[in-house]
Amino acid sequence: MSTDALLSVADLTASVDEKTILHGVNLSVAAGETHVLMGPNGAGKSTMGHVIMGDPVYTVNEGSITFDGADITELSCDKRSRAGLFLSFQAPVEIPGVPLSSFLRASIAGRPGLEMKGKEFRRRVKELAAQLDMDTAYLNRELGVGFSGGEKKKVEMLQLLLLQPKLAILDETDSGLDVDALSVVSRGMDAYRASCDGSLIIITHNTRILEHLSVDRVHVMVGGRIVREDDASLIPWIDEHGFESFEREAAGSVADDER
Amino acid sequence: MDALTIRNASAMPAPTWGWLRMNDTKIEIPVDLERIRAVTVEADEDLTETHASFEGAVADLQKRVDAARGDAEDTRACVRAAQRETESLDDLDTPALSAYQLRATRDEIANDVAAAFETGVHVDARSYLNFLAGSTVVLATESGDDEAAVVRVAGEAGGAAGASVDVVAAADSSIDLTISLDGNAAGSDAAGLIGSELRVFAGARARVSVTVYITADAGFTVIDDAGYVLDEGARVDVRHIVLGGGRTYTGLASDLRGDTARMEIGTRYLASGTEQRDFNYVIRHRGRKTISNMDANGVLTGTSKKVLRGTIDLIHGCKGSEGSERETVLLANQGVDNKTVPVILCDEDDVAGNHGATIGHVRPEQLFYLGCRGLSQEAAEALFVAAKLEDAALSAPDEQIRANVVRLGSALIDDFADFEEEIA
Amino acid sequence: MAKQRTEVADIDRSLYDFRYDEEGFERLDAGLTPEIVTEISQRKDEPQWMLDFRLKSLEIYNRMPNPTWGPSIAGLDMDHIVTYVKPNTDQKADWDSVPDDIKNTFERLGIPEAERSYLAGVGAQYDSELVYHNMQDTASKMGIVYSGIEEALHEPKWEAIIREKFMTLIPPTDHKFAALHGAVWSGGSFVYVPKGVKLDFPLQSYFRLNAAGAGQFEHTLIIVEDDADLHFIEGCSAPKYNVANLHAGAVELFVGKRAHLRYSTIENWSKNMYNLNTKRARCDEEGEIEWISGSFGSHVGYLYPMSVLAGRKSKSSFTGITFAGAGQNLDTGCKVVLGAPDTTATVETKGISKGGGIQTFRSSIVATPAAEGSAATVSCQSLMLDDESRSDTIPSMDIRAKNVDIGHEATIGRIGDDKIFYLMSRGISEEEARTMIVNGFANPVSKELPLEYAVEMNNLIKLEMEGAIG
Repeated sequence: MSTDALLSVADLTASVDEKTILHGVNLSVAAGETHVLMGPNGAGKSTMGHVIMGDPVYTVNEGSITFDGADITELSCDKRSRAGLFLSFQAPVEIPGVPLSSFLRASIAGRPGLEMKGKEFRRRVKELAAQLDMDTAYLNRELGVGFSGGEKKKVEMLQLLLLQPKLAILDETDSGLDVDALSVVSRGMDAYRASCDGSLIIITHNTRILEHLSVDRVHVMVGGRIVREDDASLIPWIDEHGFESFEREAAGSVADDER
Repeated sequence: MDALTIRNASAMPAPTWGWLRMNDTKIEIPVDLERIRAVTVEADEDLTETHASFEGAVADLQKRVDAARGDAEDTRACVRAAQRETESLDDLDTPALSAYQLRATRDEIANDVAAAFETGVHVDARSYLNFLAGSTVVLATESGDDEAAVVRVAGEAGGAAGASVDVVAAADSSIDLTISLDGNAAGSDAAGLIGSELRVFAGARARVSVTVYITADAGFTVIDDAGYVLDEGARVDVRHIVLGGGRTYTGLASDLRGDTARMEIGTRYLASGTEQRDFNYVIRHRGRKTISNMDANGVLTGTSKKVLRGTIDLIHGCKGSEGSERETVLLANQGVDNKTVPVILCDEDDVAGNHGATIGHVRPEQLFYLGCRGLSQEAAEALFVAAKLEDAALSAPDEQIRANVVRLGSALIDDFADFEEEIA
Repeated sequence: MAKQRTEVADIDRSLYDFRYDEEGFERLDAGLTPEIVTEISQRKDEPQWMLDFRLKSLEIYNRMPNPTWGPSIAGLDMDHIVTYVKPNTDQKADWDSVPDDIKNTFERLGIPEAERSYLAGVGAQYDSELVYHNMQDTASKMGIVYSGIEEALHEPKWEAIIREKFMTLIPPTDHKFAALHGAVWSGGSFVYVPKGVKLDFPLQSYFRLNAAGAGQFEHTLIIVEDDADLHFIEGCSAPKYNVANLHAGAVELFVGKRAHLRYSTIENWSKNMYNLNTKRARCDEEGEIEWISGSFGSHVGYLYPMSVLAGRKSKSSFTGITFAGAGQNLDTGCKVVLGAPDTTATVETKGISKGGGIQTFRSSIVATPAAEGSAATVSCQSLMLDDESRSDTIPSMDIRAKNVDIGHEATIGRIGDDKIFYLMSRGISEEEARTMIVNGFANPVSKELPLEYAVEMNNLIKLEMEGAIG
């Protein structure tokens, strides 16, 4: 494994409610690379994103997560965010009573190079909103409350562009279903790559979202294990054949393990 | 003026255990306050030049209520119980009533709109505020009008000021009323008092919206007392934004008398330092297919205290009505005290009542989301406090009120002025 | 005109409504004086401290006001409630020795039958005294004590423990009827489960108030030591008279560390009963109390079992149902004090009112500043079966701790016409359909009861629902 990896997940086993979901997962992403994490429903892809981000719902039983040269396995999620990690949600949670603009300002507060004063912040957010074709009226609305699917995606992408993380994990498991959401995410990813050359992990089981993207590495996850790693050529193959062969293989190897 | 204590203020209709100390409150009027004139009313002349009166509108409604009164004998168990001389077990099919149930049954039998009229903080506070105001401003719309008015009470340290307003909205008219209860102590820590007394008659199909902003400094006692009567198809929207004031008392009682009347109440509050918030909402569903929604959302920091009493009363005959009540409270500091009593009283079967309360810290999924954006738990809680003020500023009805919110915000939060610049 | 015409039928309580003469019974004069209180104590040959306690409680009773927030108790003329009725027998340990009329009463209530089939022990109180007390050998070999509390008071070992605990959870100053109880209590059970002992079968006490115009004031004291486990069942009934009867018992439960106690009650007092009962449990670290409570009878009921969660990670759950029919005003619910870190409490209640009956759900959740990390959820559903009845929900929460999660949900409404229509379209009569829906509504409670009691509860509901359609 290369030592200059930006993110390095080693032998990661994680569980929720005493049920193990990730089984000894390894994953390495170098700076500037774009990776794709694919797999059938329930494979543990979203869990992977949440565990890397430090969701307290999950317990890390074994293994480690190293980011930007530091072991972050024990770090709380806000510290991981400030270290330069980003996880987009399928949709932002609803937080009644908190205007989007207040939330955005709080999220950049105290970040070197990102914290902005009133006018500057306003200008920057308006600029990004325009880039994402988002109505600025949303900035005064309560976070997530009454937002459409497309608007929710825009809010997530707006934050991606505002925070300029070193590595963004985009959990787009459900986005394939919604054409509008898909285009918002594509636009967001392009702008992100163009503006700060950050790394990306895109979690999906739908390949349409990857169409215009230059992918460095594809990881296939089945049953909480990475069962295949390859270059971008794997994507059209999966498009054609789906995940069945991986699932069969995985079932076979699990059976072997247990023998 | 002498010290004055208003007892049994903001009492909830059906009390619970006394040891909880939630049934009502006591309002201490600070001593040595000077009665000052600090009320301005901004309204078109055609609103204020009127012969209409709240009493007149209620009397008209009473005529229709009486005309609709059936002459069938009411033999329901509670009526039998309320009408008997002494309780005895000879009739085991007649239940023993509680003091409240007895009163409610008698009110129901009387069916008297004027006698049943009430305000949320209750009659003693009403008298006091009317005394402070001196006279009552009547704002009356004509049928088909679309009007707006603003009432400002600008309190000063050492002073007591109150407004008294009657709104009589004619059938098919609409009126938008803003009440600003602001107390600027200008750095002084002397006590002050401000308040408003409001009676609203919403005529048939009238639309009334009332927004009250309380932005007083911590030395102020604030009383916001209101009573509403809704005729057929009337729709009333109320927003209570309570951001400041050392002791605040918000009381609202509403009589949904006409069929299909609807009442929506949104409450946003913040209490910091040693401030105390007291809310009493009483919604009486009397007409058929009436609807009420109460939605309160607040943050308590410092060692502040809050009591919210919310009563939905589904009275016999209000068939098809629905009442709901929801409260979300964030307790952002150890040492706060949050009391909530969401009551549903129900004397009718074809109704739906529901209430819910969520009290505590930021929900785990919210905390994780905010954490993913770099906010620690402390930062998340600070965000909720700041957001209450920012949200209030963003949705302030006018610049003057916005400036009041920003003044309050700047006293509480270091860089709140930054926010001011941004929205300017 | 109401769409669903509902007739109020007189409820058939014949199963419970039978009575026997009091011939040969001793009755103290009605009314309440220090002399009567002293006489009760003397007859029971009590230690001096208990007499002192009674007299002090009487004083408190005399100066305390009646509650002003609940159903009227004006029909309860305290001067005419006989506080002490002693049946014509001493306590027996086999049913054959119990006088026939009393034995027949309990036979008809199915108590000896239940004892034979699934109970580990039974106590039966008739009016003011226990008439029967027995426990299976296996339970006594485990070191479990289940006896009359007065009997236990005469054994020095238990007297010391009773003196230490008696009316400490429910002090006489708590409310007027707690004071009354302190003054005139009589009968009741004492249960002691030693450390680590887990009893697989329930113990049951059954309270029968036969005498007209009398009061029953039994005291139940249960101590479940660390790591022990007990299920205790309480049943109550009485025949119907046209004079007021009063039940003002007290139940004090001490749940040790990691111990578990389930306390189930099916209360079916007759409709002339004023049931002003007080129940309280205290849980130490990781201790757990489960209340299962069914309230069906009584003219007036005030009943709010309370859990004091005093130890870290202790737990309380309350599952209750209240059914108020014609002539009844039942004010029931529960109280919880979250008094230590990481405690949890759940409250789930169902209320049904019918035929002009009134039911009120009343609760309090208090989280002290020590309750950091605690959580409580309250869920309360009320069902209105007609438009003459009344159902009030008066919950309260006083939260003074940070990092707590308190949730509350309540709904009120009637049976949806669509549900009735659906069932009727499948060939079910309206009455059956309604009973079915009400039983389903009550299911969360009945599923927590032992089968025999669940059946009894369903029968009670069925009785209440019969003739509900005009």
